Amino acid sequence: MLKVENVSKSFGPVKALRNASIAVGAHEVVGLIGENGAGKSTLMRVLSGGMRPDTGTITIDGSPVVLRDTSQANRYGIAMVFQEQSLLLNMSVADNLHLANEQPFTRFGVISRRRMIEAARERLAKVGLDIDPSQKAGELSFAARQMVELAKALSLEERTNTPLTILLDEPTSVLETKDIKILFDRIRSLKSRASFVFVSHRLDEVLSISDRIYVMKDAEVVAERTAGATSVASLHAMMVGRDLDAEYYREARQESPGDEVVLEARSLAVGGAYRNVNFTLRRGEVLGVAGVIESGREELTRTLFGFLPQTSGVMLIEGREANLRTPTQAVAAGVGYIPRERRTEGLVMDISVAANITLARLDATMRHGFIDHRRERAIAVEWIQRLRIKTPSANQVCRNLSGGNQQKIVIARWLTANSRILILDHPTRGLDVGAKEEVYDMIRNLSAEGVAIVLTSDTLEETIGLCHTILVMRDGEITARFDAPPHAKPAQVALLEHMV
Amino acid sequence: MTGFAATESVPVSFAERVRPFTPLLLLVLLSTGVNIAEPGFASLETASVVIADASVLFLLAAGLTFVIMLGGIDLSVQAAASFASMVVAELLPRVGYAAFPITILAGLVMGLASGFVHVKLRIPSFVATLATAGIMTGLSLLMEGGRTVSLTDEGREQVAWISGAWLSGVPNVIVIAIVVAIGGMLAQRYTRFGRYSAAIGAGEPAARAAGISVDPHKIIAFGLSGVFAALAGVVLAARLSSGSPDLANQLLLPAIAAVVVGGTAITGGVGSIGRTMVGALIVSIVRIGMTYIGVNIFAQQIVFGAALIFAVFVTIDRSKLPVIK
Amino acid sequence: MAPAFQSTPSAADPAPDDSRSKRGRAFLQGSVGGGRLADFGPLIVLIGLSLLLGLLNPSFFSFRNLVWGLANSAAIPLILAMGSTFIILMGSIDLSIEGVLCVGAMIVALLCANDSNDHDFGWWGPLLAIAAGTGLGLLNGLVHVVLRIPSFMATLGLWFVGLGIGTVALGGSAVRVLDPGIRAIAFQRVLAFPLTVWIAAAMFLLALFLERRTRFGRYIYAIGGGEDIAALSGVPVKRTRILAFTLAGFFTGVAAVLAAAQLGQANTTIADGRLFMTVTAVVVGGTALTGGWGGVANSLVGVLIVAVLANGMVLLGISPYIHETVQGLMIIAAVALSIRRSGSFTIK
Repeated sequence: MLKVENVSKSFGPVKALRNASIAVGAHEVVGLIGENGAGKSTLMRVLSGGMRPDTGTITIDGSPVVLRDTSQANRYGIAMVFQEQSLLLNMSVADNLHLANEQPFTRFGVISRRRMIEAARERLAKVGLDIDPSQKAGELSFAARQMVELAKALSLEERTNTPLTILLDEPTSVLETKDIKILFDRIRSLKSRASFVFVSHRLDEVLSISDRIYVMKDAEVVAERTAGATSVASLHAMMVGRDLDAEYYREARQESPGDEVVLEARSLAVGGAYRNVNFTLRRGEVLGVAGVIESGREELTRTLFGFLPQTSGVMLIEGREANLRTPTQAVAAGVGYIPRERRTEGLVMDISVAANITLARLDATMRHGFIDHRRERAIAVEWIQRLRIKTPSANQVCRNLSGGNQQKIVIARWLTANSRILILDHPTRGLDVGAKEEVYDMIRNLSAEGVAIVLTSDTLEETIGLCHTILVMRDGEITARFDAPPHAKPAQVALLEHMV
Repeated sequence: MTGFAATESVPVSFAERVRPFTPLLLLVLLSTGVNIAEPGFASLETASVVIADASVLFLLAAGLTFVIMLGGIDLSVQAAASFASMVVAELLPRVGYAAFPITILAGLVMGLASGFVHVKLRIPSFVATLATAGIMTGLSLLMEGGRTVSLTDEGREQVAWISGAWLSGVPNVIVIAIVVAIGGMLAQRYTRFGRYSAAIGAGEPAARAAGISVDPHKIIAFGLSGVFAALAGVVLAARLSSGSPDLANQLLLPAIAAVVVGGTAITGGVGSIGRTMVGALIVSIVRIGMTYIGVNIFAQQIVFGAALIFAVFVTIDRSKLPVIK
Repeated sequence: MAPAFQSTPSAADPAPDDSRSKRGRAFLQGSVGGGRLADFGPLIVLIGLSLLLGLLNPSFFSFRNLVWGLANSAAIPLILAMGSTFIILMGSIDLSIEGVLCVGAMIVALLCANDSNDHDFGWWGPLLAIAAGTGLGLLNGLVHVVLRIPSFMATLGLWFVGLGIGTVALGGSAVRVLDPGIRAIAFQRVLAFPLTVWIAAAMFLLALFLERRTRFGRYIYAIGGGEDIAALSGVPVKRTRILAFTLAGFFTGVAAVLAAAQLGQANTTIADGRLFMTVTAVVVGGTALTGGWGGVANSLVGVLIVAVLANGMVLLGISPYIHETVQGLMIIAAVALSIRRSGSFTIK
């Protein structure tokens, strides 16, 4: 019995885990569900030895253990099958299966390839995979790779005498339906050898494979259910939990958008990602795009900023056809982008606040074709005051500022560049509650000033709370469109119906 | 990741503040040091020799600075300089003064070619420039069958504006270097190219997401490196009255050392032409100081190699390298 | 938490494939299987090139040319390429080849019977040269791994340190090797081939053995394929890296002995152009600069391509001075053809 008790973990001010407790019994499949940011991945990393918790204990059959790193977790029989697959694609399946554990096949420093392949074949047979172990991992299908990883995790039983616990982090997110079925069959038949922790955002899958299910929300484990005694609907209700709080999302400040259409998509498509996307975005409107992973919404936002040019269809910006092949063209057309990766994509951390603010429109600082530093400084100082950016000076390097202030600098940059359309790509990811509220305020301010916003967010409630209009995408197509006026917001369940 | 409510700003430590000035400090310490060891060193004459030496080095290193600031490297500067010395020596008797602009143009073209190969063909810069260095060396060798080309008497007069001295005996090379230095510093501070280079070097993904077209600016940086290397080659040819396929071969290491010792990080972002000027002076003082003290000229390479590693060790920003390859 | 397109390092890079890429990639890599033909590309180039030269000048296939023009001149590059292959397989680079080789050749010349001093230590010279090469390789590895400096910078420093040491010890002039035993390495024929060629063949087999049959070889590929994954799996990354650079130093040391024997002397230019040729050979053979793909067999083909081309140009009476230009173009072409452009990482 593997037990996690009262484990907490914080990153700066952000609580990633709060007194989380779960237990995994022998020969059991335990499901773990929660929205993005609920703490599932952090909990998995704690279990796999990838991260030490701040407080709390982990026990195996009652005796406490410390999981310092992956190999130590392995010694206690815990292995993780990573969501980001961890096979070396340039090496053979056999090499991958035995990596860093070639000792049994080595005599006088010489590896016996034949014995390695034989052993690999045995291991693959355990997961029911009939492939040539001397094949390169890169030549395998995604489903087969997943099985190889499973076989690798299972091989721990040869090295440890504690019962195995295998952690599966979103194992189905890259698989086709028929492969998912195969994976589930394997898991069921392997239950006699090991217990599993199964993390997924697909509730129906979790329900069908698990014996017991834990629900996480806001860094806490909020519920535990036996699979037979619950349903997708009730799981979802627990996972989403919180009722919409009109005040939290500043609904009172939501004004109706202008009539002027600033962005229009007509039959927009990117081959293999999404197709036939039609929508209009008006001045001051906040348009949310909801959808699960692989629904095509991430690609759609990338198209709007020129990262991923459409393969067919038309985009009109302020009535003119805009064919955005690069971010440079997007910026010139009046589009700005607030990325989720603030530290690498939002700001150039090692140049000054002023240089970042003027980066997208250096022209504003120029006199006779050269940068006028006094003018640049004036622009920066103006934004520092207007957005209340807390920095010792405009010449301060951005790295030393807080995350919230950095986010404000990104916004100041796009306002300097006269962006009339802003793409907000998960703008509150990694921020704590107070910081999130400031972002919400800012979105309302921008909207009131007539900036049109396209928003993708980690949670449905944020999307619903903030947006005027919501597009729901599934499998690359828009499946529904909701109006979300203040005090008449659509229910999350209503959106969800069109998402999965 | 910190939230909005987190601390306003992290105070900058004293060491952080002093760090940019270490090269300058080192320069002062070195000159006094050599002077104490060999009191004759501080004469106006030696100063002039040191600065003239530093000037040539600086020209080579100045172009390299643009490339290193973007996080790349140009291992072809010495080959480009040698190539330019051959081109100018070949052309002077034929086209007269037009040889100078043509040579610089040739440097520009070769530099742009390096940049194109690196950026558009996506080949790591150290290999791309190793290759273009080979191409240029081959062309230089081909020109006169590997031989050196000496300038004619007429040629010597044509390069007098480079090899000569100004009013009070200040070698013209120094004037050229100063003009280049001022031009470079102004370009870095006041032009779009300078600003974008700094941004790309400090954070390429962020620069891209801010709408900067990264690729052309990278290629231009290599082009500039070619121009400055060609200029250095022309100056070398003028001073030595000849062009040769391996004229500048010994200068690659000192040039890289000048950039890095000056405080420009090979990981990009941090750096400037001004720092390279200080770096070039440091390297020249060490070079000439060592000769003065009587250290074998070949042993200097040992010192530079070690100094280079140390300077890289100190200046490198490891947060930019997820995996150190 | 399942970032759909952030799984690649940066969304800002215009990766043509993204979240779907997972499947897309699987498909692409499935086609690498079909790309096995591409694995034979260098070999096809080698055969085609040889046939072409044979047609243009039949003496290309004469036994004498094959032994002395080709095999003998490919021997030293092959040994150098063996060491570099392991380094490049890890995604790193060793620029110090010329420096290390210079030191090695200097030691051989100054310790055996020579025209500069009275030493006559015979075979101690070559042994110490190999030891010194290995030691400098170890130093490369330590500077790179312990000081955490990118290999191209660490080895660039040692390149010049080595050149400096070699030149100082030689006093800037050439020192002739008079020891007949050492000279015999270059001229003694065994079964028609000079000893040099046999030594190179032995070094190739050694490298092939290390690559295919030892844990070290496995770890090299693992590091090149994904250093973070390798480390997570428990591969001793640091130790393997240091070992690889040490091994490269060893091979360079051996090459230094052969170079001194072949040239009959050690001088300051003995190593000129060797780095360039080595990198060309490894890259042309099909080993990817990004690491993980290729191997010593590829490098054998690469060395032969470069050697055949050089030999052919001599036979066809083309100026030897253009060699470097041709090699430069070959590097660019080979890398440009082999780099996986689907990767969305920043190239520096």
